Amino acid sequence: MSNQRQASSASQVPHLSPAELSYLYTSLSLPKTPIRPDGRSPTQFRPLTAETNILPGTNGSARIGFADGTQAIVGVKAEVEKTVLSNETLARNDGGAGHEHGDQEGSAAVGGHGSWVQMSIEIPGFRDDDALPVFLSEMMRESLVGAVGTDETSDMTGGLKGRLVINKRWHWRLYIDVLLLSQPLAYPLPLLSLTTHLALLSTKLPKLKSQGEEDPFFDDDWAVAEYLYPRPSLSSGGKKSARSSFVRPPVTLLVISVGDNIIFDPNREEIAVADAVLAISITRDSEAGNLKLLSIRTVDPPSRLTPPGVPNSENVSMLGAVAPTEDVAVLNPATGEEEVPGVWRPRRGGVKRSVIAEMVKTALKKGGVGEEVLEGLEGVEVS
Amino acid sequence: MLRANSANTQDFRFWALDVSDNFVYLSTFHVKEIKMMADRRRINGPPGGTRPAVFASNLQSGTSATDRAQRQRQPSELRKIFLKTGLIPTASGSSYLEFEPSASLAAARANPKSLIPPSSALKLACTVHGPKPLPRSAAFSPNLVLTTHVKYAPFAARQRKGHIRDSSERDLGVHLETALRGAIIAERWPKSGLDITITILEAEDDRWWGSAPDSHDASWGMMNVLAGCITAASAAIADAHIDCLDLVAGGVAAIVSDETTGASTGAPKLMLDTDPAEHRSILSACVVAYMPARDEITELWLKGDSSKASLENNDDRTGHEALIDGAVDAARGAHTVLAEAVRESLLRTVGQI
Repeated sequence: MSNQRQASSASQVPHLSPAELSYLYTSLSLPKTPIRPDGRSPTQFRPLTAETNILPGTNGSARIGFADGTQAIVGVKAEVEKTVLSNETLARNDGGAGHEHGDQEGSAAVGGHGSWVQMSIEIPGFRDDDALPVFLSEMMRESLVGAVGTDETSDMTGGLKGRLVINKRWHWRLYIDVLLLSQPLAYPLPLLSLTTHLALLSTKLPKLKSQGEEDPFFDDDWAVAEYLYPRPSLSSGGKKSARSSFVRPPVTLLVISVGDNIIFDPNREEIAVADAVLAISITRDSEAGNLKLLSIRTVDPPSRLTPPGVPNSENVSMLGAVAPTEDVAVLNPATGEEEVPGVWRPRRGGVKRSVIAEMVKTALKKGGVGEEVLEGLEGVEVS
Repeated sequence: MLRANSANTQDFRFWALDVSDNFVYLSTFHVKEIKMMADRRRINGPPGGTRPAVFASNLQSGTSATDRAQRQRQPSELRKIFLKTGLIPTASGSSYLEFEPSASLAAARANPKSLIPPSSALKLACTVHGPKPLPRSAAFSPNLVLTTHVKYAPFAARQRKGHIRDSSERDLGVHLETALRGAIIAERWPKSGLDITITILEAEDDRWWGSAPDSHDASWGMMNVLAGCITAASAAIADAHIDCLDLVAGGVAAIVSDETTGASTGAPKLMLDTDPAEHRSILSACVVAYMPARDEITELWLKGDSSKASLENNDDRTGHEALIDGAVDAARGAHTVLAEAVRESLLRTVGQI
């Protein structure tokens, strides 16, 4: 029970000794060339296997498995629902033209509503009202409904929310159910986010046959169903420039800073020694094809909960065994605290603004990590 | 019974005497059945819910653009904060925080036109219990175990909140925990727990009440609430004499576009300490928990599209950097209030000794 409470802090206490933590931290904070336990480069993701459309009963689904055995399944289901209009909106629409443009534009009938996207995350060992699933689902839903496309010509005006509008009286409701199949070995955010992205890419909605304000009526041929996120057609596409003009679901990247280094997609051991953990949601800007920042959240680094190591100078059993001059206190450049080399201290304090700026820049820059991830997911065959 | 009514009293007595036990039992059972279905002891409202009557005249005047709350402050001017510690004697530390009501609210109070207040101002109370020993059943912890609990009072927002915490309240709790854990020196209290409970008495609006409920449905008010929670919790922790690296203060900045002024000046602008009720459309907002002495951020929550902010020409920061800097400036402002409140708390403790 208490373990559960502790884990509710959006992070899990790793079972590593202070000596192991100190070793990890030292190798990860080597200036410019961090050495990761699994030999990856700082921006490299873990290898993964992905497949889509695995659940026949859903509108779209995906499964992603990391090499360490963690797997997630996402199913997306859509339902048609009647749009509830408030009294005032109705009155205003009836009342006609006298009222200003701004409020009309903002109503749900046109712009969509964030609550039409529902997300639930199931993680083994956690209750669905525990803090970790709630925090993760809010984080992913927020970037999903927050992504607003600016492309006036396409269907995706108003982003995902706008796409869910059928007409003034009807809309789609989207249920995104995320299931983590294995124990959460590492912080499960990257896995869940990538799987959700893939499932949304493969989501199809039945083709609408009715027009305008009629009650919606759909084509019952599943073969002509349209993708929720329109994909480049084979005839017109092929070129990268055409591809980039499509709105894509966001991905949330987990970034940590250790010393002066910035490391993407940390595994369990790496996140245990992180100075700061950030979840950065990005998507493709529909206009320029550049990447766009949607949201940033700090995640509580588990390193704050780790047990401290005891320097020899304070260790009673080592009294007289070591010359006192061996323990030289140094200032940790990241936290500005006195530290004895090789002795682990739980991290304290926060993150500098320059580090945050650097993390976002690395994620967003052209040819950077974000682009690589989005390209990679785009390449997954959607059948 | 019908027979009893139609017959004379003599007959009725005879009939009543003649009634077997079985019949009496059946009838009481019947009444019980009905009671289980509908609560007869209390006067209940209609099951479907009601809407207050809206009169056409009110609709015309109430939602007109002139009654809309307008920001009277400068873009970098913060609202005044009332912060007092030690108001709850049973807790080891406590604080109460209030934001200054907006100018439009003050005007509406002085000269009421409608029963609905145009905007709301944050009011919240924070209690800190501990450090106290962890229960025997708990696993060993070398650090102070922090528990945060944020709850809206049922009457706090325009829409009633339930008694059980919903997902947004749990989310706020996690944000607050992240913000505070970076500041508290946790290894000085092994095997101890610290409970921080925040009750929000009045929450910030997510939008102006009169605009369509979906015009911008993101919960921008939650960010202001979080900033208030961080500042108040920091004061309460200091009031409970728990060692911290620095006082953490919360600050909010947002990129807003007010279309009222027309397309000419419609470019999105950066504003500090925004009240969502005062703005047409908030594009992006950011809340930070900031420690000025170390120039570090323990909690950052940014959402929305920050790329369209129009900054000064000589400003080469990107939108999100400017937004974070703005939030940090707001937090610096809150920090001065916080420091003063903590000083008062300290003087009071010294006076008691």
